Amino acid sequence: MNCTPMNAAVRRYTYRFFVAMTLYCVFLFIAVWMFRHGHPSGILAYILAILPAIPIVASIAVVGIYLGEEKDEFIRNLFIQAAVWAIGATLAVTSVWGFLELFLPVPHLDLYLVFPMFWAFVGVCSALVRMRYR
Amino acid sequence: MKNQLRVFRAQRGWSQADLAEKLEVSRQSVNAIETGKFDPSLPLAFKLARLFETTIEQLFSDEQ
Repeated sequence: MNCTPMNAAVRRYTYRFFVAMTLYCVFLFIAVWMFRHGHPSGILAYILAILPAIPIVASIAVVGIYLGEEKDEFIRNLFIQAAVWAIGATLAVTSVWGFLELFLPVPHLDLYLVFPMFWAFVGVCSALVRMRYR
Repeated sequence: MKNQLRVFRAQRGWSQADLAEKLEVSRQSVNAIETGKFDPSLPLAFKLARLFETTIEQLFSDEQ
């Protein structure tokens, strides 16, 4: 197996992304617990509702910071290619599903699932893009 | 884009990993450039030329 050590930018990106995802889990737990047991209302309810989205938004910034820090232009290029393909796939799937929901009795796709869907596509597209350069 | 990277590298007895270390890029980057699958930016092309003490024209050719 051909293993390549992570460069400094990838290490920092991995750490920041891990922190963001840990915060996401914590904030999601707090939000779910509060809405089940605390019955929040008013402005607090709004704050709690968007709490899990904050690390999600932060993780997008983490990606932006990584792209700025990545000195290896080929690796940066691979990531950008995968991300662009993943954006396209996510938009395609959500658009098609949106029209299916509009006209047919198909299950509803919650919008918060779009983000993990995008990252799943990034994973698949990264593998496909890398295959082109083998 | 065609290039003479493999030839220049072989003349110095460097592996792809050696060249990658000198350029501060990944070995995959060197491989992708060497096989003509990825065209380096102008700054990286200059860096390569300086490293091999040659010119960009000697290293790269825009012939198809």
